[in-house]
Amino acid sequence: MTSNSSRREFWGLAATGIAAAGCTFVKKAELPKQGKSVVAVVKAASYSEDLTQKILQGIRECGLDVKGKTVLLKPNLVEFDKDTAINTEVAVVAAAWDAFQSLGATVLIGEGPGHRRDAFGIAEEAGYRGLSKFEASFVDLNRDDVTSVAKFAEHKEIYLPNTALGADLVVSLAKMKTHHWAGATLSMKNFFGLVPGSVYGWPKNFLHHTGIPVSIVELNRIFRKTFAIVDGIVGMEGNGPIQGTPKKAGVLVMGTDNIAVDATCCRIMGIDPLKVEYILGAKSLGIAEESRIEQRGETIASVQTNFELIKEFAHLRI
Amino acid sequence: MLESYLGRRLRLLKESQNSDGGWGYFPGKRSWLEPTAYALLAQHQDAGTATWDKGWNLVRQWQREDGAWRPTSCVEDAHWTTALAITLHCVRGVYDGHFRNGVDWLLDSAGAEGKLLDRMISYVTKISPTGHDLRYRGWPWRPGTASWIEPTAHSLVALKKAAPQIPGALVKRRIILGEGMILRRRCTDGGWNYGSKEALGVQLPSYPETTALALLGLQGNRDAELGPALARAKRLYDDGQSPLGSALLKVSLRTYGLNLGTESPKDPGRDLLVAGIEAIGCSEGSFSLLRPAA
Repeated sequence: MTSNSSRREFWGLAATGIAAAGCTFVKKAELPKQGKSVVAVVKAASYSEDLTQKILQGIRECGLDVKGKTVLLKPNLVEFDKDTAINTEVAVVAAAWDAFQSLGATVLIGEGPGHRRDAFGIAEEAGYRGLSKFEASFVDLNRDDVTSVAKFAEHKEIYLPNTALGADLVVSLAKMKTHHWAGATLSMKNFFGLVPGSVYGWPKNFLHHTGIPVSIVELNRIFRKTFAIVDGIVGMEGNGPIQGTPKKAGVLVMGTDNIAVDATCCRIMGIDPLKVEYILGAKSLGIAEESRIEQRGETIASVQTNFELIKEFAHLRI
Repeated sequence: MLESYLGRRLRLLKESQNSDGGWGYFPGKRSWLEPTAYALLAQHQDAGTATWDKGWNLVRQWQREDGAWRPTSCVEDAHWTTALAITLHCVRGVYDGHFRNGVDWLLDSAGAEGKLLDRMISYVTKISPTGHDLRYRGWPWRPGTASWIEPTAHSLVALKKAAPQIPGALVKRRIILGEGMILRRRCTDGGWNYGSKEALGVQLPSYPETTALALLGLQGNRDAELGPALARAKRLYDDGQSPLGSALLKVSLRTYGLNLGTESPKDPGRDLLVAGIEAIGCSEGSFSLLRPAA
């Protein structure tokens, strides 16, 4: 830590804790990443392949041990439109559930959709309720009990769901999509769904007024025990995250460093991650530089496919 | 004898009341104002009993010094559920200082997008960054953020019930502005979503829950042509994809006098908010409590 901003970051991180009485969830602050981050890129041509084995491969590559841990799978469940690819595909959620359970974890699924109040209604439309484990393991994070966590950008606190704060590992089960306000939405932006609508509303306009990039960074600062699985088997290009066009990339991208995973996804999508504001803003939390990411599985070049960008984000193209 | 649709929901609510008197969103969870308000409205016939009053007193305790309500005991922030607390006061017939302070806070609360500078820029440039008509300000989910359909609809229900108790023109003016905001954000399919009818030039679809609430907020408006909106609401109700949406649509359509038939005695799910709204909206339910004051 040599700069003033690094010092501010450190004290901000050190101050991150739980303000509410009786709270037992204390997140450990982490210093800026040193060395390299591992990111696994695994090819998957379709959702009918054995995705559980592919996710297990990614978990192994990243050296993750989840035995005896409580793991919260946080898919990207936004709205349902049968003609496009908005949500993390149900097959990926099912495979992740099976993979983590086979490794000895207690697995929960949690999401707090940003527009729709009825998480169960969207889950029904998106096919999630067909999962045998869904009813017993799903938590509507919008309406979970909450605890105050100190400091969120310029705010003195943010309220977050106890299920997410209490999990040993939050798995960002994101979709590979372009985003009409943020450029791209991947594992980091997916954490917007951890913010409870019961406190902040639908949409979670508090995050927009605070600033989308800074809010993404702040949520990733608070949630540090994470694993990312980005569903890029079929992603979305153009006017994402809802009205874009399905785009086949044929990959799952995984890692313990959300910033490195998102930077890798961007490169696969033909986006320069170092031009994406929230990735730049999170450089003290993880690694975005290609030279410091240890790529396992497929090379970026072998799976790279340009995602169409709206004109407002054309400058992000590599 | 088979327990009725309403009876099953009322029994679930009675069995799920927390020891502090309130209700969580799900059994065993902390009490929140929103499910508590709906549970109390659903059981309005029990007002004055010890168990009902325990919930009512809990709601009263959650008022802040500035008049707003907090959404639950551990959240300090002023919140849109202030509107539900005011509606509850009107239903209970309590028009004391708590009620007046709450109404004053609600009248003072407005979406951040309609500040004077924004309106001036919008007036001069004829452009609003969001495409919204900034002359018509609704209510936000929480202070410092923009107006959205749902908190605006709840505020309109509350103010239309409170209006006879509040002298002056401000209530009427805020009702006109709030209704104007809702009417100007109607989707092309006739209903409403959270509050944006288009994004980047693409038309957005309406949702069941927000369509239901928008119509609830517009009750008593004699100028607006609501036929297409009611038709859209009925279609969304017939689709029945969303349990919460269906419950709210039932309340809303019944307040407009639509005959939806009698419910078969199906068990409620574990979602106490939905159970409370389903109880209010069923054929024997207390949906008429959400109509404006005569």
